[in-house]
Amino acid sequence: MSVHVPVRLGPAESKLIEQLTAAGAVAEAERLTGSGLPTRRVEAYHYTDLKQLLRAVPELAGAAEAASAPALRVAGAHQLMIANGIVQESGTAPAGVIVGKTTGGVLSTRDDIVTRLNNALVGEALTLELDGSVDPVIQIDRRTEGGAGHSTSAAKIYVGDGSSAVILDTYSGSDEAHLGNHATYLALGKNAKVTHITVNLAGSKATHFASNEYHLAEGAQLRTLIINAGAALSRTQLFPKYEGAGAHADVTGLNLVSDGQHADITMDALHAVPHTSSKPLFKSIARGRSRAVVQGRLVVARDAQKTDAKLMSQGLMLSDEAEILAKPELEIYADDVVCGHGATSGQLDEDHMFYLLSRGIPKAEAETMLVRAFLAELIDPIEDQALNEALTDVVDGWLARG
Amino acid sequence: MTTPMLEIRNLHVRIEEREILRGVNLIVPKGEVHAIMGRNGSGKSTLSYVLAGKEDYEVTEGEVLLDGVNILEMEPSDRAVAGLFLAFQYPIEIPGVATMTFLKAALNAQRKARGESEISTPDFMKAVRDAGKALHIDADMLKRALNVGFSGGEKKRAEILQMALLKPKMCILDETDSGLDIDALKVVSDGVNALRGPDRSMLVITHYQRLLNHIVPDVVHVFSDGRVVESGGKDLALELEGKGYAGFDEEKAA
Ligand SMILES: Nc1ncnc2c1ncn2[C@@H]1O[C@H](COP(=O)(O)OP(=O)(O)OP(=O)(O)O)[C@@H](O)[C@H]1O
Ligand SMILES: [Mg+2]
Repeated sequence: MSVHVPVRLGPAESKLIEQLTAAGAVAEAERLTGSGLPTRRVEAYHYTDLKQLLRAVPELAGAAEAASAPALRVAGAHQLMIANGIVQESGTAPAGVIVGKTTGGVLSTRDDIVTRLNNALVGEALTLELDGSVDPVIQIDRRTEGGAGHSTSAAKIYVGDGSSAVILDTYSGSDEAHLGNHATYLALGKNAKVTHITVNLAGSKATHFASNEYHLAEGAQLRTLIINAGAALSRTQLFPKYEGAGAHADVTGLNLVSDGQHADITMDALHAVPHTSSKPLFKSIARGRSRAVVQGRLVVARDAQKTDAKLMSQGLMLSDEAEILAKPELEIYADDVVCGHGATSGQLDEDHMFYLLSRGIPKAEAETMLVRAFLAELIDPIEDQALNEALTDVVDGWLARG
Repeated sequence: MTTPMLEIRNLHVRIEEREILRGVNLIVPKGEVHAIMGRNGSGKSTLSYVLAGKEDYEVTEGEVLLDGVNILEMEPSDRAVAGLFLAFQYPIEIPGVATMTFLKAALNAQRKARGESEISTPDFMKAVRDAGKALHIDADMLKRALNVGFSGGEKKRAEILQMALLKPKMCILDETDSGLDIDALKVVSDGVNALRGPDRSMLVITHYQRLLNHIVPDVVHVFSDGRVVESGGKDLALELEGKGYAGFDEEKAA
């Protein structure tokens, strides 16, 4: 028999419950009332204790105009926009692209507050059907504009069999204490080849939540690059599911945190069928008093023989007060698999640094060169030249703000 | 008397409480090539690192003047810009940094510090190609990450390539000959000799008289237990070759 101890609710939780109730999501409101926000005792939130970290939730955001240019411009990209959760009109879609809208949540139901909130509060979702070899980079420019607000956005993307596409999600907005909760559902058809880049450039007072659910059919090839560079508090969750033989993903991510920031990339992957593979590689660079978190969970189903999955987390600390925390978790139910994980964390190599300095390269430039070298593995595989340069600029910009 | 290119006065250096350099005195006049010979562990590389400005060393006494300017308080990059160059005994591999990017950054950093404009890409390519050719450096090698996967000899040649590009006024070569085959030794020596001139001085650290047949020094210094114990003409190297450091130490003790 268990004794029910009521959870003491803080102002953030009360506000969320109020918002869920107002949206008619009564069951979700009751659920949150019972559980409260996850604390470090919840494994998936061990290093990102939302009860501690999420102190306040702003009012639900109303519609807003996004007047400014996108936070990240990529030459030749086709732009779509979701502002404060509302899908905006866009220009003529390029060949092979069908743009639409749907209502309701796009994510699978799971025991996770961030995804549940998104499903419950999202009004409309952008839908994309991509077919053939889609040429321009498809950019979804997600904004949280106006005064501090809680907004929820979602996109549901299908990439047809044998098709290829590069999708870029960028998140930015006015410099207010927003709470943005963004969802992406991305299904790759058989032998589809997709690169999905997300760049969180939310303002310095904002909280940024993102959840990406990936479904990979037979032979599908996915590369992700998840960059957390903005927001005071950010958590990006990745849920790749390998559903067809030969499916492979290079799930890569990068936390760039400065003084006062907390960024978290959490992956929960499921290898569901035999002969799938993945190479999750996460890197974090932390400076000032900051914290970067990487959690990687690999679940290999009983039937998923011959799964080949290697999870790696690497951290670079540029200050003594920076913290980089990595937690791998392997849950393997099949017996004939090659799975592993590793984690390293340290500072810039002193010998490397001295060598560059000894040739006259000033310290700041040498540091930039070494940081770029650390990140080359993540940026180099991005083939689209303009996109590659834009991402390099994001990193260089972050370094320059040092 | 004109200002020497390098003047080391009573230099004492510690690493973690242990005194490695114990009163080094050395003068290299402009345009001269001096050799340092000394047994393993006597502190030759330590001296070269201290001159280049590596951290972890505590200078407890003494001065180092580069062309009359005390450099001990300067950052390593400022020393390089001031014209000091160390060809490392063990060049460092830096994965992820392209060799060409590195060379250009180094060259431009030095030009910028001297108030010159950035080198144009064609000029840069030509300079690297010419220097590479003289040192028999394969162009493909320069497409790789800095020193990564270079053989021992290739690394040494790459150091001299950097030296040729950066045109320093004070070159310190720490065992540049070790790891070089006979032909490479000749090529590298020719490369070094080509850089000799009235405005450039060199300090060549080596264990072998052989190198000094190619790069003929003006003065040879014998280094022992953290200091210069004897200096002489190029014949000193031959004498050393003959009786070894032990014989030399005994003579000193006598
Ligand atoms: N970082 C360090 N920490 C502790 N001891 C050190 C360190 N670096 C050098 N030493 C010691 O200082 C002494 C001098 O070393 P150094 O490398 O300068 O010798 P060397 O004359 O260059 O020798 P070799 O001819 O073998 O290259 C050695 O006893 C070495 O072990
Ligand atoms: Mg040595």
